Amino acid sequence: MAKWGMVIDLDKCTGCQACTTACSMENNTLPGESWQDVLFYHEGEYPSAQMKWLPRPCMQCENPSCVHVCPTRATYKDPDAGGIVFVDWNKCIGCKYCMIACPYGVRFYADEKPLIEPDIREAYPSENGQLWSPPYQNPDEDWQRGIGIQPPGVVSKCTFCYHKVKHAPEGVADLDEDNPEVKEYVPACVRTCAPKARYFGDLDNPESQVNQLIGDRHGVRLKDHTGNRPQVYYLGAGAGVPAFTPADREHDA
Amino acid sequence: MKLFQTLLDRRRFLQSSAVVGATAGAAGVTGLTGLAQAPQARAQTPRGETVVTKSICAQCPARCGIDVYTTDGRVHAIYGDTGNPIANGKLCPKGHLGSYFLYDPDRFKGPMRRTNPNKGRDEDPGFVPISWDEALDMVAERLNGLRDRGESHRFAHFYGRGWGASDAGLYGDFGKLYGTPNSAIGHASMCAEGSKRAKRATDGNDSYNSYDYRNTNYLLIMGASFLEAFRPYNNVMQMWGHMRSKSPKTRVTCVDVRMNPTMAAADRALYIKPGTDGAFALAVAHVILTEGLWDKEFVGDFYQASGRFISGETIPVDSFEENWVHGLTEWWNQELKNRTPEWAEEITSIPARHIRQTAIEFGSTRPAVALFERGPTGHTNGTYNGMAIHALNALVGSLFAKGGLGYQMGVPYGALPVNADDYLDDYARDGAWKDQPRIDMARTERWPMTSHMMQETGPNHLAGDPYKLDTAMFFYTNPIWTAPDPKVWEEAFKDVFVIDTSPFPGETAMYADLILPDSTYLERLQDSPTYPFEGWPMTALRVPAVEPIYDTRHFGDILIGIGKRLNGPAGEYYRELDSVENVLRHRAAGFAENPGDNGVNDFESWKEKGVWYKKPYHWRLERGRFYEWGGLDYNLQMSPEEVKAKLFKTPSGKFEFKSGFLEEHAAYIEREMGIPAERVGLIQWVEPQHSGGNGDLYFVTPKTPLHAEGRGANVPHNIAIHQPIVGGRDTVYLEVHPRTAQERGIRNGDRVRITSDLGSIEAECRFVAGHRPDTLVLPFEFGHWAQGRWAKGRGPGHSGEVTANVSDPISGLASYYTGKVKLERA
Amino acid sequence: MNMSMKDRKTRTQANVLQGPLGWGLLVASGIVLLASLAFALIQLMVNGHTSFNTGSTLPWGQPIATYLYFALASSGLGLIASLPLVFGFKQYYPVAKRCIFLAFIVLISGMAVLALELGNVFRMLWAIPLNLQVQSAMFWMGVFYALDLLFLLWKFSKLQGGEWDSKTAKQVGIASFIGVLLASGNLALIFGMMSMRPFWFDALLPIYFYFTGVTSGVAALVFFIYLAHGFQRERMPPALKALLTGALPKLFAALIGGTLLFITVRAITGLYSNNPEINLVWTDYLFASPLYNASLLLGLLLPFVVMLSASLRNSVGVQVLVACLVFLGLFAERFYFVVGGQVVPMFRGTWEPGLISYTPSTTEWSLTFIGISLCFVLYLLGEKFLNLGDMPRHMAEAPAGAPAAGAPAAGAPAAGAQANTA
Repeated sequence: MAKWGMVIDLDKCTGCQACTTACSMENNTLPGESWQDVLFYHEGEYPSAQMKWLPRPCMQCENPSCVHVCPTRATYKDPDAGGIVFVDWNKCIGCKYCMIACPYGVRFYADEKPLIEPDIREAYPSENGQLWSPPYQNPDEDWQRGIGIQPPGVVSKCTFCYHKVKHAPEGVADLDEDNPEVKEYVPACVRTCAPKARYFGDLDNPESQVNQLIGDRHGVRLKDHTGNRPQVYYLGAGAGVPAFTPADREHDA
Repeated sequence: MKLFQTLLDRRRFLQSSAVVGATAGAAGVTGLTGLAQAPQARAQTPRGETVVTKSICAQCPARCGIDVYTTDGRVHAIYGDTGNPIANGKLCPKGHLGSYFLYDPDRFKGPMRRTNPNKGRDEDPGFVPISWDEALDMVAERLNGLRDRGESHRFAHFYGRGWGASDAGLYGDFGKLYGTPNSAIGHASMCAEGSKRAKRATDGNDSYNSYDYRNTNYLLIMGASFLEAFRPYNNVMQMWGHMRSKSPKTRVTCVDVRMNPTMAAADRALYIKPGTDGAFALAVAHVILTEGLWDKEFVGDFYQASGRFISGETIPVDSFEENWVHGLTEWWNQELKNRTPEWAEEITSIPARHIRQTAIEFGSTRPAVALFERGPTGHTNGTYNGMAIHALNALVGSLFAKGGLGYQMGVPYGALPVNADDYLDDYARDGAWKDQPRIDMARTERWPMTSHMMQETGPNHLAGDPYKLDTAMFFYTNPIWTAPDPKVWEEAFKDVFVIDTSPFPGETAMYADLILPDSTYLERLQDSPTYPFEGWPMTALRVPAVEPIYDTRHFGDILIGIGKRLNGPAGEYYRELDSVENVLRHRAAGFAENPGDNGVNDFESWKEKGVWYKKPYHWRLERGRFYEWGGLDYNLQMSPEEVKAKLFKTPSGKFEFKSGFLEEHAAYIEREMGIPAERVGLIQWVEPQHSGGNGDLYFVTPKTPLHAEGRGANVPHNIAIHQPIVGGRDTVYLEVHPRTAQERGIRNGDRVRITSDLGSIEAECRFVAGHRPDTLVLPFEFGHWAQGRWAKGRGPGHSGEVTANVSDPISGLASYYTGKVKLERA
Repeated sequence: MNMSMKDRKTRTQANVLQGPLGWGLLVASGIVLLASLAFALIQLMVNGHTSFNTGSTLPWGQPIATYLYFALASSGLGLIASLPLVFGFKQYYPVAKRCIFLAFIVLISGMAVLALELGNVFRMLWAIPLNLQVQSAMFWMGVFYALDLLFLLWKFSKLQGGEWDSKTAKQVGIASFIGVLLASGNLALIFGMMSMRPFWFDALLPIYFYFTGVTSGVAALVFFIYLAHGFQRERMPPALKALLTGALPKLFAALIGGTLLFITVRAITGLYSNNPEINLVWTDYLFASPLYNASLLLGLLLPFVVMLSASLRNSVGVQVLVACLVFLGLFAERFYFVVGGQVVPMFRGTWEPGLISYTPSTTEWSLTFIGISLCFVLYLLGEKFLNLGDMPRHMAEAPAGAPAAGAPAAGAPAAGAQANTA
């Protein structure tokens, strides 16, 4: 079985957020429930300021702290699904401990105050046990893997678009969206990335493009000191995220 | 013990009713109300039959081909079309949100008539549904009546995004047949007309450029928001990924007035004082010449090997042999010789050494492209700014070169089944309307060099000069909100019979007497020749993914429907034209002789593939010579006459540093801009005239990547991520340099007031230390007073309300980015 | 028999909560409970958890802090009860039964709050036991608190049956003591093991939780004892009176001091550290909050200073006031502990320009009120029907001030307390 991994080239990423919207429409997440978010931050000052950005999917860690803390095994790492970390919406009790334990902030409890008023859940009210039911929803649904629109009271997260990836041919090294044979099996964020800053493939295959890029371009993992060992690697300048500073303090004289 | 048990039971009961109640209420039934059924409640569900339809995105001018995924009649996913040369399977952030346009809960569900005669922000139009027949009869009756009274010129069409032959393409014939000079008034002068006019004035092409980014080694980007809004955005980003990882890597210098993604991602970011881009470009040109870096094969050279351009010194007349350029000697002697980097530093605030470095890099890296858009041109000196930048492309020989820039070729469409000239009655041919100017006064003595002046319509109508409009029909434009100083429009359009065709409740719709809702783009059959892209011809087709889900119609069919009801031969013309589909079938007939590279040769194959295109671009500059495509290679060398006819459509047939087009209007330019008539043709530095009164801060209102043809403000997912660079999660913030704010006692996050001589708006501010301290940035998106449940009342005040209606006299482009304002805590 | 009947009658008169006041308070707290419960249920039915001000960036808010407060107060009460029942500090016998009872109902109340906070509470009942995720501290929290609850109930039933010193009672007492340690220690590790949340990450957090838990337990105990006796020490049986003027206030003072010490060293560590995920919590959140500062000064420092004075700490008014202040102070401490671990965003970025702000919503407050009022209702019922002031007969019959029969001669705190009262 493959071990699915993603490589994000920050030297090519343009910060457009197409990954964010592709994900939100493919997975029917709520506004603000951005499983694939892009973080922006500034350093320095005119005329030598810098602005950087960091796309942040779930890292699908090899040693996921969220999985260890879940009291019901609702969140689990599935070695038969390329090591993707899923939430079983049939088992999740909504204790949110996994959200506490995730060092990457990529878990969501959508049963929260709406980011955008009026609440879109009122425009597209709930049907069939879902938290909300937009007319444009993806027909793929698998609550045991947190795919589809979640019921209330559970935690949701990026699934590496497993509903697509699972159809990938056995033994394929790379899911390259430019290959028409496999484009339908590529995660939404990778598939749409216009500057081709994202790559998706098998980390267990030394000949995969993701491994080649990690090797040639010195791929790094985010917050590696946490020991979670992400299956998402970053290339290029910008993977070193500066420490948090309140925006008010950034410009203290 | 029993008591505890009772208490426990009671608690459990209460909790269980809470959970059940909660789920049965707004939150819905969870499928976990019982303990047993939950585990097997939701496993994988089988996928229904999914159909993929070829369409075109409609959220910006780029026209990306899209694959629309529909299952059981519901659209649920949109991805880029792999077979579309712009999209190549990719999309920008807007594209995926297209389903919202189809399922927008605020959409108009059918034609409606106004019942409240009063118009204004707080007036409920009191719309009541009517049938399409009633609606179209009502319009026709109105138009026929006007025509009978000899006042047909008082009917005007307004449009923003015209897509192609099946919608805006029908306007010209409508005006001709019905008899109005106002079919149609486009929004170009509120869009990006400045760059088109700068190119018209220099190389004779009144157009945006096509670019060969794939082979470019240097990009000088000036005020174009390249990685946010430069079209085709999606493809631009694809090319960015390519340029930044190819060998050699394309080097990028970005010149802009604010920190933005392009500045952040460029190799060199230069912050320029708003409106002074021309000075920067002139200094770059100056250095290219003094350093001897110009392309001698394209530009020409001194007759004598000892010839040099030396700062501050003229060159002898007739010492320089011009090849494909015109007026270089005059340009140098009368303008450029003193435009040193040190001179430009004073004006632009960019240090001379950066200007010099940029010039040396730009002049010594081939191919190099200088591109620009509204940043430099959105000022009173916009055309001159644009010309100065475009001149750099000439100096390094990039026009029509590999890795350079060109112009877009047209599509070999078939003819319509009818020719409007055969359906003209006497009135159409020679009626009173023929003597009337356009309501916006474009192409008249007042604005002789413009094509459209939509922003003038409101004020002109209010003043009754040249006349009062009677009826106005809007398609894909919302000037009652988007025009500079829109409150004038709000006043002006109270007594005009307004017909809006937008599917959505925008501000213009709130003024409408009649709503004739267009279908949304996923429901439409519509052609769309490409915007300038890579030069070779291409036209995509929107194929409906679903039938209209409400009682709406394609705008083209609405127009044809009105046409059919016109009296006289015009009605006959439209009955022959019949429908949009008929129009498109005839257009597609042109493909039979010109099958596309993807095999598209008729209407059916066009529908199947979604796009017709035929590579390559037909012209190529190589080593100072122009060649035309001969079928296998660029092997047909072109004569100067052919170059003049096809490529440099200027009076001289060359690239003009001394513009013949401007000299034709010397008196007008001298009058409007105070430039001596004999100098107007020169590409030169002209001081911008900033509007807004005596404010001390520049105010710029850029569009972000999520500006979705004006609908972004009503798309929740769009609102949630609209302004990522300062975290605009459900609003947009005023971006301000912290020092500027602190000097005014403003803290990060404070509510502030932005004031020009037109009035004030309020916003929340966020600090961006990367911005120029003298420049405020407020992305243009929110501040609507209509537009839908999410847009209405959201965010800061509308920037248009502090933006004066001032335009570049040459291009007519509204100077949206030239205002000066004051800032204070609200 | 006759004697004991008479005794009971005396005590009945002594306990004001068995009279009309008890009924009045029961009705009052019942109304608060019903009102807050009705409000919370309606909110949860209509709006679900959108009626909370927690969210994906700050998932644990005041309901979790309330649960934590109650769970630790319960543990504290359990630990106090084990002083006489396990370790033989016999002068604590007069409060043992009340402690066990309070520990039980406080835990029940906390769990009620937690139940309303969870996304799918009933799923827990099968999902936790069926999946046996032994890696999860929260799994063990379920196990240990279930055991804790069971042992408390068992223990209480022993005391209710008058079994103070039987072998089984001892064994259950020891089991309960261990259960309490495991439950609250494990609860501490739920936070303390989170290395990605440096404000919490601390191997010694269980000690801090034990300490503060006992402190809040004593505060609750003191308050409820006085409430039961109409805030009049004269109504109390001599042995209880002796405890309240002897060992207990000293213990209370020491506990408050210890709590302050813990907070101080945590604050010093946090302020010293460069790590913004700890440092900013102290500089920009905790010490920037007037409420937090007030809770420290008025809720802990002032009570500690007052309790240092031998004359003041034995006064009824001071003891009640200190109990209330510490009660509130430690509630704030729990709140700021839970929220403080989450206020620094996981990543720098424009989406979260400052610390994550959180103020509990009305619904979240209503959960807190449910906890408090449920606690009161259960307590008042207990006082009414379960004779919480009961103690071994030899204690009850001992004259006031006299050393209780069987008191360990070498018990240091006990000895000190006696010396003091003497």
